[in-house]
Amino acid sequence: MIVVRQKPVDEICAFVTRHRRVLLVGCNTCAAVALAGGEKEVDLMAELLRLATSRKASFVEFSGTVLTRQCEPEFLEQLDSEGYDAILSMACGAGVALLASSVDVPVYPALDTLFIGAAQGLASWEAECSACGQCVLGRTAGICPITRCAKGILNGPCGGVSDGRCELGDRDCAWVLIFQRLEKFGRSKEFLEIAEPQDHSLRTRLVTWDAHEDGIR
Amino acid sequence: MRQTQVAHRSGLRDEQQRLYAPCRARCPVHIDVPGYLAAIGEGRFTDALEIVLERNPLPSVCGRVCLHPCEDGCRRCLLDDPIAIAQLKRAAADFGVYPRPEHPRLRPEKIAIVGSGPTGLTAAHDLANRGFQVTLYEEKPLLGGTMRYGIPNYRLPDYALDRDIDYILSAGIAVNTGIRVGRDVMLDELAASHRAVVITAGLQGSRALPIPGVDSPRVLTALPFLEASSRGEDVDLGNRVVVVGGGNVAMDVARTARRQGASDVHVVCLESSDEIPASPQEIHDADIEGITLHYSWGPRSISHEAGTCALNTVRCTSVFNAEKRFAPSFDESVAECFEADTIIFAIGQSADVGDLGIALTSRGAPQIDPLTLKTSIGNVYAAGDVVSGPTKIIDAIAAGHRVAATAYRDITCDTEPLRLLDEEIDALGEVPDTMANKLETRRRIQMEHLEFFDAVKTFDEIEGGYTEYEAAREAQRCLSCTTGARLTREKCSLCLTCIRVCPHGAPILSTDGYVYFDAAACNACGACQSQCPSQAIVLEGHSEQEMSRRVERQLWAAEMDTTLMFACSSTPIVPNLGGTPPRIITVTCLLRVSERTVLEALQNGATRVVFAGCVESTCRFLHARELVRQRSGHIEVLLSRIGMTNAFDFVEHKADDLDWHLR
Repeated sequence: MIVVRQKPVDEICAFVTRHRRVLLVGCNTCAAVALAGGEKEVDLMAELLRLATSRKASFVEFSGTVLTRQCEPEFLEQLDSEGYDAILSMACGAGVALLASSVDVPVYPALDTLFIGAAQGLASWEAECSACGQCVLGRTAGICPITRCAKGILNGPCGGVSDGRCELGDRDCAWVLIFQRLEKFGRSKEFLEIAEPQDHSLRTRLVTWDAHEDGIR
Repeated sequence: MRQTQVAHRSGLRDEQQRLYAPCRARCPVHIDVPGYLAAIGEGRFTDALEIVLERNPLPSVCGRVCLHPCEDGCRRCLLDDPIAIAQLKRAAADFGVYPRPEHPRLRPEKIAIVGSGPTGLTAAHDLANRGFQVTLYEEKPLLGGTMRYGIPNYRLPDYALDRDIDYILSAGIAVNTGIRVGRDVMLDELAASHRAVVITAGLQGSRALPIPGVDSPRVLTALPFLEASSRGEDVDLGNRVVVVGGGNVAMDVARTARRQGASDVHVVCLESSDEIPASPQEIHDADIEGITLHYSWGPRSISHEAGTCALNTVRCTSVFNAEKRFAPSFDESVAECFEADTIIFAIGQSADVGDLGIALTSRGAPQIDPLTLKTSIGNVYAAGDVVSGPTKIIDAIAAGHRVAATAYRDITCDTEPLRLLDEEIDALGEVPDTMANKLETRRRIQMEHLEFFDAVKTFDEIEGGYTEYEAAREAQRCLSCTTGARLTREKCSLCLTCIRVCPHGAPILSTDGYVYFDAAACNACGACQSQCPSQAIVLEGHSEQEMSRRVERQLWAAEMDTTLMFACSSTPIVPNLGGTPPRIITVTCLLRVSERTVLEALQNGATRVVFAGCVESTCRFLHARELVRQRSGHIEVLLSRIGMTNAFDFVEHKADDLDWHLR
């Protein structure tokens, strides 16, 4: 899922204090699961903004609602934003963008979109995928070097590894992990195969994708 | 990796969320026990009292003398001791304020109730609350029936009974005392002048055995003796008293005889120690007051000598026959003679309604149709012990509700109250091992009571009652069965946070991809509810709205410098913050105070909010401690971001021995 995190509230305050009536819109899919944009967080954010703005003697009205997913036009049709002069979207970037394109008032993000990740336990996630468009997990034993390696290199490890740790110091070396797992399954030979460079245009130029055009559906 | 389980464990169904806790299921009137215990645990005695009064108009009485079938079902029985459910009801009545009556629109129908025992009072209360014009007829000078004239004052003092009766009468009930129906006023007159008459006369006849020598002034029967004692009369018993009988009344008689000055009291009963019908508690209390029990003796005759008498008995070999019917057999070769100054028979009571002019059964009880509860006169009902024979007070209250609902149905054709009484009830199963292992042993808090050497000198109440603090502590032992998490599946975003925070495995991810809650494994700590991002989980008996209302009430007319403190109910001592005393809201666990509630309090006038946490030795939900700390940290971060650095504080006790005297 898409992992998101709330922006510092002072940053959000700067967006909304110039408006009179602000609607907070939560998203009950990834943002809720990431404990950042569900109904509870919408209520809490509204209360926090009320407190913050009233302390500055500015009178902004905040209301909240939650959509099942903000990245679908049909769900957005359920949104009644009549009478609001701004919307604070508590969804990932995709939700904010689609919401912004469907209403006539400014839409601000309340969250930062971090990565595509997997849950590690209570309120903890790990980045697993960078959406490169050419998945390499098949030859890297399910560990993504583009996401987990600081340099994102396809043929590693680099010289910065010591005792299995990355020279950045914040993580294990992805390529050491890949080697260990390949070895575990008796595939260590594959490690020596040189990978061809990726087509980075897929990342920068692929702005839409239509399954029908591709003939997949 | 956590192993998830398929949703077929221990009756895991959606309807399980409508189960009753075993205590509530076993109570004949189904009082919301977990509900009132939760209120007492938070020190809200008036709320607790109101919850009890919804089903039982005699909380002060039942809090003292109920035989508490609820406690036998308590799910804590297997861990340590059951919760003192009955005694906590007394605490609710002692410290709570009885609500004012809500006078409903008065209906034209008049109803007469004959007899003011628990059944009559309950029926009168129910019917008056439904708008009927109710009149109580009582033969004795004061209301209460057996509760006043049968139960000795050392167990149920008059002031305790009067408290309940005053509340019941406040519903607008007319009272005619000193009038015996059948003698001073005829039943058919009443039946003609009232829309309905309910006979709840109880069991007023005391029996003695038809054996030689029984017609002596030295031989008494239980009820007249108890009545005289409860009126404060001195009864000359002599030194040595023999009580015949093995029930709770026999124990009452023996202990009352002790207080009437008899120093040597013996109870002679037919049953063996395994069969004796008196409750173990009563037997124990009689024992420590120096009363000797003699099991398995059947009285044969009473012989008299100058001023004294003797009860001649033979060995009873069995009380019941193969069909479990009462058919005692005796071994005439083993005999025993019990000398006494006075012999008191306490071998059962009987209905005394011969002068009413209705059809009677062979036992002398009114003959009724079991479905309509009607006697041979069309608009005359009968209910309670007079019909069923001796039962517990709480059963008599249940009978009062039923006869009231029946009469109500017959008059108004509204079957709803009767339908509610007949609703099927399922009780929650035992505590699963996975949960039991994680629960700490907490023994029951014993009530202060008179020592027996003082107790037997007077008719003063033996049990002193809990203090407010003890009551709250005792109530906090409750496992809060069936008041835990409920999931609204439509709102659930399947984040699985509930599964990750619950220490007992109550939320279960089923193979169909949904989360279910196993009510048997939930002790309503509120961890899942506090973390649910979609607000799809609610706890019964707790809601954000209710919390907002409590905050609003506390902050009403807040001053310039008002501190609002949320104190965990398990906090042994409320911390002293200095300055103006804070306004305090006691909560079951600080996890029930959401971040939003804190911000709302600050928005609504509080200058500062303080969390007062409990200590580990008193904490009810140990796993919640870390979550509370995280929440406090989160609130501090949020507030500092908007420039309110001193608006929130979390005070946690470090000392663990503050509560040693209750452990």
